[in-house]
Amino acid sequence: MDYNKLKRRASYPFETIGVAVAFSPRLEAILGEAKVLSESFGAQLLLMHIGERTRSKEAKLDEAFRKLGIDEKKTKVIWHEGNPVTTLLELCKLNIVDLLVVGAMQKENMLRYYLGSVARKISRKAKCSVLLLSQPKREGTRFKKIVVNGVENPKTIHTINTSVYFGKHLNSKQITVATETEQPVLAMSMTSESTAGEASKMRKEFTEEELNKVHDIVINVSEREGIEIAEKIIKGKPGFAIRQYAETKKSDLLVINSPDLKYGIIDRIFTHDMEYILEDLPCNVLMVHSRIS
Amino acid sequence: MIEKLSNNDLVILLLAISTMLILARIVSELGKKLKLPMVMGELLVGICLGPTLLGKIYPQAYEYLFPLKTNSHVALALDGIFSLSVIMLLFVAGMEVQLSIVLRQGKTAITTGLGSMIIPFFTGFGIAWYFPDLFGMEMDEHHRLVFSLFLGTALSISALPVIARILMDLNLFKTNFGMIVIASAMFNDLVGWLFFSFILSMSGQTSNHLSVGYTIMYIILFGAFMLFIGRRIIDRALPWIQTKLSWPGGVLAMSLGLCLLCAAFTQSINIHAILGAFIAGIAIGDSVQLREQARDIIHQFVTNFFAPLFFVSIGLEVNFIDNFDLKIVLIILVLAYVGKVIGATGGAMLGGLKKRNALAVAFGLSARGAMEIILGRLALDANLITQPIFVALVIMAFVTSLTSGPLIRRFVEVEK
Repeated sequence: MDYNKLKRRASYPFETIGVAVAFSPRLEAILGEAKVLSESFGAQLLLMHIGERTRSKEAKLDEAFRKLGIDEKKTKVIWHEGNPVTTLLELCKLNIVDLLVVGAMQKENMLRYYLGSVARKISRKAKCSVLLLSQPKREGTRFKKIVVNGVENPKTIHTINTSVYFGKHLNSKQITVATETEQPVLAMSMTSESTAGEASKMRKEFTEEELNKVHDIVINVSEREGIEIAEKIIKGKPGFAIRQYAETKKSDLLVINSPDLKYGIIDRIFTHDMEYILEDLPCNVLMVHSRIS
Repeated sequence: MIEKLSNNDLVILLLAISTMLILARIVSELGKKLKLPMVMGELLVGICLGPTLLGKIYPQAYEYLFPLKTNSHVALALDGIFSLSVIMLLFVAGMEVQLSIVLRQGKTAITTGLGSMIIPFFTGFGIAWYFPDLFGMEMDEHHRLVFSLFLGTALSISALPVIARILMDLNLFKTNFGMIVIASAMFNDLVGWLFFSFILSMSGQTSNHLSVGYTIMYIILFGAFMLFIGRRIIDRALPWIQTKLSWPGGVLAMSLGLCLLCAAFTQSINIHAILGAFIAGIAIGDSVQLREQARDIIHQFVTNFFAPLFFVSIGLEVNFIDNFDLKIVLIILVLAYVGKVIGATGGAMLGGLKKRNALAVAFGLSARGAMEIILGRLALDANLITQPIFVALVIMAFVTSLTSGPLIRRFVEVEK
């Protein structure tokens, strides 16, 4: 397999959409979502099941195809045994999947979260964009309100562009690029050394600086016609603040960058950044892998 | 019969506290105009009110206002207040240690943090262990070990608030460079204070000795409990406290209450109370649910009331002129710069920084500030060090803090 094909491949358009098929009670809902997505993006659908191929599973899949009106000829189904996470990710690389759709619980129980569920593990390791659907619907979710994390990072512009592409194809009304601002140690270093005016001026300057940064990113977004892009500064810890914001605003989709670090169990114990989102999904989450180093 | 403060004792106590607070504020504000840290003004007031100046030129006034050796009631009350002050200071220091920032900065913060601790530690430890005479210390092997461990630790810590302020003044606070310095300083603080608590419990100042193994086990168990389980409980309780109880009284009382509870626990198991306060600070300060306003209020309360009392009290008990020893001052200054600069530069370069920026990080981390003074004072109280060494540590804390900013500016090369 020539993995070089994956390197520097743009994060959109979505030409191949992969779906992790788990034969859970939400099978039809996940497949329904996948169908809507593949039709909207004109992408090929690739269903992957990691586990034993049995007659009953085949029958269930056929039944779901029939109910949902999925064209079997246009859909590729792969059956493979092995470790669910590594096998699935390997298949995604092999088939140059642009978007992997995975069903995920909104919140895992504590032990399962620390040990790592399949959906969460995929999110941390995938080399393609991942859509975690916490509340999949048979008829497909309407992604009306999209929140994008506008963190200062070279990947962010690709993530916003991908969000705009995603939003346009799914008739979204509004995209909000929200940037979190955290000011560690500021309280301690300013309380005794600054007057109230100085402290408030400094905080204001920090906020304005952040707003300018997000504005500079948004101004470079391509093909933004027909979609409204709002900018927002939210205060709080990265990851947690945007999770809360997406939840409060009842967003349909939260879009974030793929992780820069290799997240492990220590990052789950001392939760930070992306782990706050994975710990308790505020809505559906799209993790954009922009494939830049 | 339970003894209480007499009317006269209470008057003296209140006069002493008010004098310390008012003069510390006036002198610190004047010092601020000259861009000097507030703590320098507070320490200066202590020196003026203490045996160094007032005790020399007007001993009656000094002994009336601060009867630390002649009136046991007032001395005990002041000692209680000063102990409470240091516990509170460690609590707010802990509140600023955010593990998420250290983890986010990843490899660079860890290698810089480790380098800036290991080399200064072994430099300090080695010099103290092999050449204790340099510090005028005569002691048996156990005390030599404890003193060497202390000097190593004293040279490896950094002063997070001072560093943050310097970075803000240089407009580097929000840069990647700034975050690496902050994350490394947090790492230094965390490891440094945990280790210092261990050294204090080793120093034999308490009557009930614990074996080293038990002490380490208790520190790990307590830290693990507070940071894994305690933090989760705090995360759940804080939203309720901040919305259902009176604001800001509820969160203030609960936070300080938890701090004192943890401090009492660690003191009761013969690890110093500061460890409990520091860990409680981390558990509360690292909580995503703690409102910024609540954090500010706690800081305001501690840094404007307890911090001046603590720093002024240092000058009340130590004669800075009689205990000034140029040789010790120079040794500690050289050790403070050499170890930190070599260690932090090496660590930062290992973490991927270029040489000039690595040097700038090292000079940033060399600022010791108030943290060094607190550490030194606790060591002095525990008879780990002599007064000349303490004076040298205070001078080193100031020199490193004042030179840190200009040295960062000299070397740093970052896009703002």
